[in-house]
Amino acid sequence: MALAAVDLEINRGEVFGLLGPNGSGKTTFIRLLSGYLLPTSGRLEICGCDAVEQSLQARRQIGYVPEAAPVYGYMRVREFITFMARLRGMNGQAVPDAVDRVIAALALESVANKPTRTLSRGFRQRTAIAQALVHDPALLILDEPVNGLDPRQIIEIRALIRGLAGRHTVLMSSHVLGEVARTADRVGILLDGHLRGVRAMADTPDLEEWFLSLA
Amino acid sequence: MRMLGVLLRKELLATFGSPIGYTVAAVFLLVLGYTFSLTLFATKVANLIYIFHQMYVLTILLVPALTMRAFAEERRNDTLELLLTAPVGEIWIVLAKFLAVYGLVLAMYCGGFVYVGVLEAYGAPDWGPMASGYLALACNAALIVAIGLLMSSLTENQVVAAALTLGTSLMLWFADSVAYLLPPPLDSVVLNLSLIGHFRPMVTGSVFVSDIGYFVSGALLALFLTTRRLAER
Repeated sequence: MALAAVDLEINRGEVFGLLGPNGSGKTTFIRLLSGYLLPTSGRLEICGCDAVEQSLQARRQIGYVPEAAPVYGYMRVREFITFMARLRGMNGQAVPDAVDRVIAALALESVANKPTRTLSRGFRQRTAIAQALVHDPALLILDEPVNGLDPRQIIEIRALIRGLAGRHTVLMSSHVLGEVARTADRVGILLDGHLRGVRAMADTPDLEEWFLSLA
Repeated sequence: MRMLGVLLRKELLATFGSPIGYTVAAVFLLVLGYTFSLTLFATKVANLIYIFHQMYVLTILLVPALTMRAFAEERRNDTLELLLTAPVGEIWIVLAKFLAVYGLVLAMYCGGFVYVGVLEAYGAPDWGPMASGYLALACNAALIVAIGLLMSSLTENQVVAAALTLGTSLMLWFADSVAYLLPPPLDSVVLNLSLIGHFRPMVTGSVFVSDIGYFVSGALLALFLTTRRLAER
């Protein structure tokens, strides 16, 4: 079993960091929340919708960026974000308006008409986040959002995530302690499929020490 | 239905944005032209039965190249996660992929209308068998494309998906030969699974509901299994 004993509630508008070493079950947990995997037991609720019984309603509340930040290489950036907006049920003038909004918010203007396969890792990550935000979801799920980025890009993505707090609930996973410490309001530590503890960052002066005490 | 349109547009973009579709169509039409010229000059008979059989064989050989990337590539590139976490039923994803490839195959068949025109211009062809021949091809293509999608949904390796599709199609093609080796009542069951057994009567002008039912029910079963495979994640 990849995940056991995970009892967790994420508050509206907060940035929640899920911390754990590779293989601890972070991606499995995130894939369960996103609806990509189905739980064999237990209960998942997203904004009041059961993630299994009311799967489509639950998925409407979510914007999801998988770890690999996948994009369709044969589409241009604007085309890709437009496709994802329509796929999430948007139509009419709302689509180009929302696409323009996220392109501006993520500073993608310079690459908006470029094929996604030509993007650098940083722009690709931003494009992936843009598609997840285009329908203004209540919950944004980011799996290892700064993996493979250079220091400048990490700072930009971190600032972006912090900027989303309040308006969106953000769940991000990472195996980098410093990253979670700088970005999250609360942090949960996942080890071997068990959620070992949850704390507010304000009450955790030394995240490293707390992590080591649980590991 | 609106979601089907959104997904179909994306699938068409993928199909015509890659060289695979163009290459397969070019090979198909080239081989067809070669065969048509050869049989017309050799037999001097105004019918397309040889051409229909050629199209049947080419469909079995070439469709795996069109369907292999359908889900295997999405899985390998992690884009399947985007599709399956969007608020859209799996059935629409499967149908869009099916219609995109099926549409391309039908468009390739339309290239064969040129030969119908040639026969009409220089001979007196019998239109009935020609119409039923095209119906047989359309039914056969639906089944092979659906099998290809099912195989593509089972693996993330495109070559494996193509090999499985080709293998399954060939086994169905030769099922009647195997049936003669089996004891009753197994022989009649296997005989009824034969692809060529249901294709041959239609292509020669005898249209039976049972033959159409074989292709349609087979295609629907394959599409259903593909949808279940996606729903199971």
